[in-house]
Amino acid sequence: MSHPHLPLVCFYFQVHQPYRLRDLRVTDIGHGAVDYFDHDKNRAIFRKVSEKCYLPANRLMLELVTQYPDFSIAYSLSGSFLDQCEEYGPDVLDSFRALAATGKVEFLAETYNHSLSSIKSVEEFCLQTKQHVQKIQELFGQTPKVFRNTELIYSNELAQFARLMGFSGMLTEGADHVMQGRSPNAPFQPPSFWINPVQEQLIAKNRPLPECADQIRVLLKNYKLSDDVAFRFSDKSWVGHPLHADTFTDWLMGSGGHSVNLFMDYETFGEHQWADTGIFEFLRTLPRFWQERGIRAATPSQVLAAWGNRPCDTFDVHNVISWADLERDLSAWQGNLIQDASLNAVYALEADVKKSADPHLLQTWRRLQTSDHFYYMSTKYWSDGDVHKYFSPYDSPYEAYRRFSHALCDLKIRLQQHELSS
Amino acid sequence: MFGWEYPPKHSGGLGVACQGLVRGLLKHNVQVTLVLPSLVDAGDDDIQILHPTTELLNTIKVMSDLQPYDSTLSYLSRRTSIGDDSLSELYGPDLGAAVERYTALSVEMTKNTNPDVVHCHDWMTLEAGIRAARHHRKPLIAHVHATELDRTHFQPNEWISSRERRGLMQADRIVAVSHYTKNMLIKHYGIPADRIAVVHNGHDAHRSPVSPAILSASRHGKSPLILFLGRMTLQKNPWQFLEIASHVRHYRPDAQFVMAGDGPMLPELIDRACTLGLQDQVVFTGKVNNREAMALYEAADCFVMPSVSEPFGLVALEAIAHGTPVIVSKQSGVSEVLDHAFKVDYWDTAKMTDCIVTILREQPLAQQLRSEAPRLLQRLNWKNQAYKIKSLYQNLIQS
Repeated sequence: MSHPHLPLVCFYFQVHQPYRLRDLRVTDIGHGAVDYFDHDKNRAIFRKVSEKCYLPANRLMLELVTQYPDFSIAYSLSGSFLDQCEEYGPDVLDSFRALAATGKVEFLAETYNHSLSSIKSVEEFCLQTKQHVQKIQELFGQTPKVFRNTELIYSNELAQFARLMGFSGMLTEGADHVMQGRSPNAPFQPPSFWINPVQEQLIAKNRPLPECADQIRVLLKNYKLSDDVAFRFSDKSWVGHPLHADTFTDWLMGSGGHSVNLFMDYETFGEHQWADTGIFEFLRTLPRFWQERGIRAATPSQVLAAWGNRPCDTFDVHNVISWADLERDLSAWQGNLIQDASLNAVYALEADVKKSADPHLLQTWRRLQTSDHFYYMSTKYWSDGDVHKYFSPYDSPYEAYRRFSHALCDLKIRLQQHELSS
Repeated sequence: MFGWEYPPKHSGGLGVACQGLVRGLLKHNVQVTLVLPSLVDAGDDDIQILHPTTELLNTIKVMSDLQPYDSTLSYLSRRTSIGDDSLSELYGPDLGAAVERYTALSVEMTKNTNPDVVHCHDWMTLEAGIRAARHHRKPLIAHVHATELDRTHFQPNEWISSRERRGLMQADRIVAVSHYTKNMLIKHYGIPADRIAVVHNGHDAHRSPVSPAILSASRHGKSPLILFLGRMTLQKNPWQFLEIASHVRHYRPDAQFVMAGDGPMLPELIDRACTLGLQDQVVFTGKVNNREAMALYEAADCFVMPSVSEPFGLVALEAIAHGTPVIVSKQSGVSEVLDHAFKVDYWDTAKMTDCIVTILREQPLAQQLRSEAPRLLQRLNWKNQAYKIKSLYQNLIQS
């Protein structure tokens, strides 16, 4: 049994793959049914990451949740990842279903297309979340209660949106400038926030869950301890290298509080940190140390249930935050001319796409909303060869924009043609 | 330093680079004796280059009609067309003899200088560098701006390339203008990597970057202009530019193309433009001076440098200094330093076409390229690049 003074550990993993664009050319525009997405590349990347991460990591997780009664975990699987599972990796989907069947894995809700709709269109935000909730119900037989927005994008307003959509919990980043020295290891609450009635009606009309929640609690990523694993694990110049499971367990215990929230990309295991760094061995030994020392790993819903109705400190976020880059804001996806232009252009098509009522056009348009497209266009520290470059499948931000703008040009023409033919 | 004539007499980037480097070195208080081949009488040492620290600069002119991009053939044809009998008598029609003559004169004329380092630029000055370094018992730096392979589309004149190889082997340190050139020297000349330092060329923007808003306002309603600027030779790939033009026209019938520069391919290019039906879209300006080049950069909506093999490609820096969006060949040194630009394989006509059409169609893209690219020049200027060369000097002197 866990000791009352020991923190819970909340292990949550983001699993996402975008639909990358193919090398579209101006010659492709306006010729009807051109496919914007590079299926060969998307399949190749999906398979590579599956072999290095998803399959071995899921095998290990299945072993661990089966072996250790006090070890539970949470995932959010983006809709575009689940679509790709169906296209490229039924074996990967099966391995997630096997995990779901243990009853020890919680699946969180997010926007189906891992989009930035939360900051661009309330209606899209609700509809994409609803689509995702339905997909999780259909595939895993459970209804998400906790919401995590794309890349942990969060604000006071978005927390209220999530509450009105029916969620009683939401995850975000324990960003320093909001924490002001407080520990992220306890649930917080957003300040009560007045929502514009038009938006409230939109949400009510498109609500993913049957009822809105009375209150919403926020779980914050402990970014120091999360990043020790996700970013620093294999860094030989880091003072903590090599990191052992018992040392890390000491740090978790030392961190204290109600729960230490370790939020990270699932690709940490085997993809960002390769198998030969020892990351899988590290993961395999963690639950053993936790069991020995009476630490329980709980899912976000379990963490919130254990907190009960105790009062929470207020987490007050006026300006939108996220877990991206050092800035922990939206600057990974918007801010330069090409990002802003393409982001505005894609949402400017909303009315026309919906009027067309064409499911294929709707799906294509939503796949163009995936945040990665805008991330690849970032020039923030482009010169310094930063993390955006590492994650980009394209030569440069300008190549990302070239492909994206061709896709949008063609989509506009298809919408016009659709309008004319109907 | 055995260098090359300053602009406006230059034809191509070598003279510009020499000028930039010398000015940069003067800013770091390096005293430079500059030896230049010149058709002007060597007694005339008024070089008409005004500079606040000219007291550090001593220029020696060697009577010679060498030009930086000479091949044996072009030298011969130029010799016969000049029709200056006195000069012909002096040198004869042979490039080899002219180089030898220049070398002997240069070494003789610099005998009484007292250098710490001898620095020479490209193959024609190599022998002079070697002999001067031997005479003064000082280290030799050979600066490579282009190799024979770049100039000839990998069909080198063996006499020239063997002189290049032999000369470079004798240098104490080699400066390559790019990693692209460094790799070429390693791969095709067999020079050990650790003897080659890469110092990219710089560009001194003489004016503040053009405000993108003002530019786009003044352009409103005008037909788009796409610019090529360089010598009309195989290396610069002007033929491909015409192919691109004929494709772009399909999407932008209003587009205008300017091909600035002269060179041996000019007549066939004009023929080709007519064959492609581009006579109303393409303007051949012939050789342009600096002012004309600046005006063209400013007027252009897009600058294309499709070179087959470009050790650096200073024109691309000049273009971004004027806020012109650029598309450069991946087979170039400048592509290593440009972030805010399109980089395309030189043979990929379709992709270059596509990039042009996208830049013309997408204002936010064009504006971002205009405003972001010039920031590079805040660090890639001659003062900074010359400092790297000065450090190489210091290392050589101390070792």
